[in-house]
Amino acid sequence: MSAEHAMAKASHAGQHAEDQHGLSEKGLKAGSVGLIGAVVIGVSCIAPAYTLTAALGPTVAEVGVHLPAIFLVGFVPMLLVAFGYRELNNAMPDAGTSFTWASKAFGPWLGWMGGWGLIAATIIVLSNLAAVAVDFFYLMLSQIFGNPDLADLTKNLPLNIATTLVFIALACWISYRGMETTKTVQYVLVGFQLLVLGWFAVAAFSHVANGTAFDATAISPDWFNPFAVESFTAFAAGVSLSIFIYWGWDVTLTMNEETKNPEKTPGRAATVTVLVIVIIYMTVALATLSFAGIGTEGLGAGNPENQASIFAVLAGPVMGPFAILMSLAILSSSAASLQSTFVSPARTLLSMGHYQALPKKFSRISPTHKSPSYATIASAVAAAAFYVITRTTSENALWDTITALGMMICFYYGITALACVWFFRAEAFSGAQAFFFKFLSPLLGGVILLVMFFKTAYDSMDPAYGSGSSIGGLGLVFILGTGVILLGVVLMLIMAKLRPEFFKGEVLARGN
Amino acid sequence: MRYVVGYSANARGHDAVNLAVSMALGRGASLDLVLVVPEVQQFGAAHAPRAGFEHLLNEQAQEWLDQALALIPPGVPAKAHVRSGDSDAHALIQAAEEFGADMLIIGATSNGIFKRFSIGSVASALLHASTVPVALAPHGYHRQEALTRISCGLGNRAGAEKLLDFALGMAANREVPLRVVSLLAIDGGDAADAAEAAEAARAYAAKHLAAALPGGGQGVREEAKAEVAIAQGRSIEEAVDRLDWEDGEVLLIGSSRLATSHSIFLGSTANRILRALPVPMIVVPSDYELKHPNRPASNDFTREAQK
Repeated sequence: MSAEHAMAKASHAGQHAEDQHGLSEKGLKAGSVGLIGAVVIGVSCIAPAYTLTAALGPTVAEVGVHLPAIFLVGFVPMLLVAFGYRELNNAMPDAGTSFTWASKAFGPWLGWMGGWGLIAATIIVLSNLAAVAVDFFYLMLSQIFGNPDLADLTKNLPLNIATTLVFIALACWISYRGMETTKTVQYVLVGFQLLVLGWFAVAAFSHVANGTAFDATAISPDWFNPFAVESFTAFAAGVSLSIFIYWGWDVTLTMNEETKNPEKTPGRAATVTVLVIVIIYMTVALATLSFAGIGTEGLGAGNPENQASIFAVLAGPVMGPFAILMSLAILSSSAASLQSTFVSPARTLLSMGHYQALPKKFSRISPTHKSPSYATIASAVAAAAFYVITRTTSENALWDTITALGMMICFYYGITALACVWFFRAEAFSGAQAFFFKFLSPLLGGVILLVMFFKTAYDSMDPAYGSGSSIGGLGLVFILGTGVILLGVVLMLIMAKLRPEFFKGEVLARGN
Repeated sequence: MRYVVGYSANARGHDAVNLAVSMALGRGASLDLVLVVPEVQQFGAAHAPRAGFEHLLNEQAQEWLDQALALIPPGVPAKAHVRSGDSDAHALIQAAEEFGADMLIIGATSNGIFKRFSIGSVASALLHASTVPVALAPHGYHRQEALTRISCGLGNRAGAEKLLDFALGMAANREVPLRVVSLLAIDGGDAADAAEAAEAARAYAAKHLAAALPGGGQGVREEAKAEVAIAQGRSIEEAVDRLDWEDGEVLLIGSSRLATSHSIFLGSTANRILRALPVPMIVVPSDYELKHPNRPASNDFTREAQK
């Protein structure tokens, strides 16, 4: 239904528009979602088909057969942080999310960096989503026309960059026009992804059973033991990566008014979503390891050639002619995510512009399409630039961007979780529930993620880290991760000169 | 009498406000500016809770509406409303029904680069679904004075009488002359045929006009001076071009909502007329009943075309 402001206009000149109502409109929303709808939203935000193809390889490179263990362990800090996220969202719903909350808790400087971390993470994932979509676009073309040469077009650097930029531009345009993926499309995409991933797992296991697997490996309980991971370095890298695979799950917890039953739906939806996701991740991870092993030759999941996009390599041998379904599932889900993810940095930039933490033009809303205009285009330009830079400097851009992305998520989630602890410090010991959700969970989650962040940042200085790309003796992942954060610091100092009001705490005051 | 104005903070919105002011001035109507903001969806936005964005959007909408109200001269009473909805057209129709509005006024042209001269998507959706007349302001409409003439485009479809009644009432109430126009597209054919067609159209228009005028055309009311004009061209556009149009004129045409092919009619003819038309066009639904048509005219000025 419509929410309305009515303004009375006096009949003589110069006296216009008295706002009679406050600005917070909380009308009854027509589009409220039920349990299934909320689960679909959660799964679509996680985009499991895209996530697995992007993260499975790099995670195997770090932790080998302990992939299932790391996938399970990675959920713990995500869960802990999401509790804090939910508390903040309930107390201060705001388009700026991490930026606004961290500013309220820690003041403008850390708040700005929290916002920067969120924007950087979403910008990086945009460039990665576009690149994955492009890979599977060419792969699908080759499957349609039965011509393997077409799949190799994605390795042609100028063509690859050009196609990726076209994908980014298209998604930006759709987002700018204010068009959103509809409910029906989301249901179909999510259902299709789950179906194809299930198919992949079943096909892989039947190859193993029939003795036709590439490197049939027997599942062992040891795979589920996180303590068996060789080193803390590998463990930290694996956890950073598995934060990425659950990224987006928190949205189910933060849906309140949007649901038909705000008391129960968000909690149930979050539980069902995570069960669906964990089951599909475990099944696919086990299927992949059983079928391909972690060998570094041929189809092995440990082969660096395969790690950027594992399904691009394995779907054919596992699924035979039906591999085209996998291409279609990943192409459609990454394209849909590309478009829906554009909303996030655009809204955060809009919010930062609104609170004067960025130049005024970032707060522009298109009069025609009613979407953030400048912020959306700025996000697209940044994602395009990030892709061009990594693609031209890295031997394996997808792999390195995913690792850098994991770091960035740890950074801003860590800050957000600690912002929750600090913001609610006065109520932390007011009761068991407050203690657990507003203090202990976010504190533990935040500390774990920041430890993972610093450990990964330190380790990634090694030029052999990740895909092994390096610049000037420093690992590319380190350069990307810390480079982006340092860029944020520089921009923040420039902004503090240009628009000092925000940085004096005059716009977004600390505390309530 | 109330007009609902579909406002957006761009050139199209300004066109609509200007036309609304022109229309309101002759009738003492009040305006309801409606700005539709999209329903912020939960589906299709990853990593971005929607609550705060809605807040910023509404704040911006208020600011835009304040600016729009400032465009309206003091003599015209106006209110502003923010509505949220997935479809602009749907939200505007709902508002028009809720306010009991007599007309919906919008800027017609889409301002996309490639679609400069075509009807915008909101306008065409409205034309197909509105239950009240829809006034379309042409691109760059800047006039803010009362109307000076009403033109009524007459086709030979059923419903012409009702449309003429509406036009006559409108002209009489605003004390401006009425012109009945026939737009003829004659492709090929010789001059004799064309003259014959023009004559037939003139006779047809005159007959309907005479029937519609009070007293069967004998005692034409002074305030409702009526004339008939025929325009020919190889296309509708050319016919429109050949007529002279006053700055303060509007063209009324009827839509055939009941006909199965109404969407095609509106999609082609209305679009083509609008492309060439330098003045606003008002599309009256064919099944639009003049409200309270039989009540004595003297004291009741609340309806657009009531006699």
